[in-house]
Amino acid sequence: MTRRSIFSILFTWLCCVAPAVAAEGGEHHALPLDAQRLSETLPLTNSMIMVWIAVGLIVLFCRIATKKMTLVPAGVQNFAEWAVESLYEFLEGLMGKHLASRTFWFFGSIFFFILTSNYLGLIPGVGTVGFNLNDAEGHKVGFLPWLRGANADINMTAAMAFSFATLWFYWAVTESGIKAFLAHIFAPKGTFKGIMLAMMVPIFLFVGVLEIISIAIRPVALTFRLFGNIYGGEQTLESLMALVPEKIAFLPALPFYFMELLVGFVQALVFTLLCAIFLKLICDHGDHAEGEHH
Amino acid sequence: MMTLLAEAAVEQAGILETITKTFGLNVPFFIAQVINFFLVIFILKKFAFGPIQEMLGQRRARIAEGEAKLTQIQQQLAESEKTTAAAIAKANEDAARLINEARTSAAALSEQKAQEAISSAQQILAKAEAAAKAERAAIAAELKKEFGRLVTATTTQVTGKILTSDDQARINQEALATVER
Repeated sequence: MTRRSIFSILFTWLCCVAPAVAAEGGEHHALPLDAQRLSETLPLTNSMIMVWIAVGLIVLFCRIATKKMTLVPAGVQNFAEWAVESLYEFLEGLMGKHLASRTFWFFGSIFFFILTSNYLGLIPGVGTVGFNLNDAEGHKVGFLPWLRGANADINMTAAMAFSFATLWFYWAVTESGIKAFLAHIFAPKGTFKGIMLAMMVPIFLFVGVLEIISIAIRPVALTFRLFGNIYGGEQTLESLMALVPEKIAFLPALPFYFMELLVGFVQALVFTLLCAIFLKLICDHGDHAEGEHH
Repeated sequence: MMTLLAEAAVEQAGILETITKTFGLNVPFFIAQVINFFLVIFILKKFAFGPIQEMLGQRRARIAEGEAKLTQIQQQLAESEKTTAAAIAKANEDAARLINEARTSAAALSEQKAQEAISSAQQILAKAEAAAKAERAAIAAELKKEFGRLVTATTTQVTGKILTSDDQARINQEALATVER
């Protein structure tokens, strides 16, 4: 048996057994499902702190990149321009010139924000460094981490998804008008005449109702997809770290960090891509929304 | 029917409540995150992507301008090549015409010069002939005179008679007639 095979088997074992053991495992800092409130008076959670750290870092990076702008870019400016331009061209290829230029401020922001937030959530200490909550007698009753991955908070992912849903409706109506918007949902697709048309109208009305349900489910799906992947990843890392003694706690989680780096990028891309596709489908009257359901 | 629907609605509400409680989804946090999100977008648009997009826009405009200029230059080059080709063709045509004219002119000049040379040669020849003729006449006259004097002297010595002018003239004429024959 080669060394590579042994490593593969060990890795698979870790993947399968670790969560099970972690579930049974006793005391460790399991990441709670909900973000913790930091202030009694303000609706401020530890995930909101991460939101602003992420924004601060992005702005700082962009300010450094754009400090000495030159027409022939180099160094950080070159990287920043490459990142922004690549995303812009990608969205332009997907949605067309007009829609991309109109909506890039939104898609660019969500992509880089989600990506940065996802990666910040992987920094050691996020979700694990905080303070113990004690009762009046000094007994530990809980743990409050100072920071939490922004996308490991369902309120944040829901805020993004539902904000997009609102903007989606606004863009769809302003791009083609309310009549075309409704026609896109309810009107028969194809050319029917006479009795065929009479038969198709109720069918497409029913299809329209299904379409509305599908549209209503989209932000929910977007919310839970992003939250589930990011929360699940962070939870997996924590569970793996709880498997072994503290001194080598990093070891079982190490391979998964690489996977989480990939997941962080893929999830940012998936969220942005799906939003862009949903918008393209409603604004593009030449095509029918056949492949949009997930 | 209504009871069933009401029960279903209650059940749905229960499920929704369970989900929101389990995942920590609550209205104040959600609203706060929506406000947060729009602030995030505004800040990123204003301070992060704005300057980069502006630069990208400038570069795109510059590239477009460069491409437009390139097209213009290519057009100008094509026009210039066309003009140059036309000028070269015209120059070739003019050169050919000038060469032909030069050839014609050279031929005419050559002919003229040849004629002049011939005429000049003829004149020289005529003059030479005239001079030769004059010289010959002069020599002949001289000879005649000398011959007449010799004939007269000889006749005088032979006959011992002094000849008159008429005699001299007649003897000279006879002697000359004999010589010229």
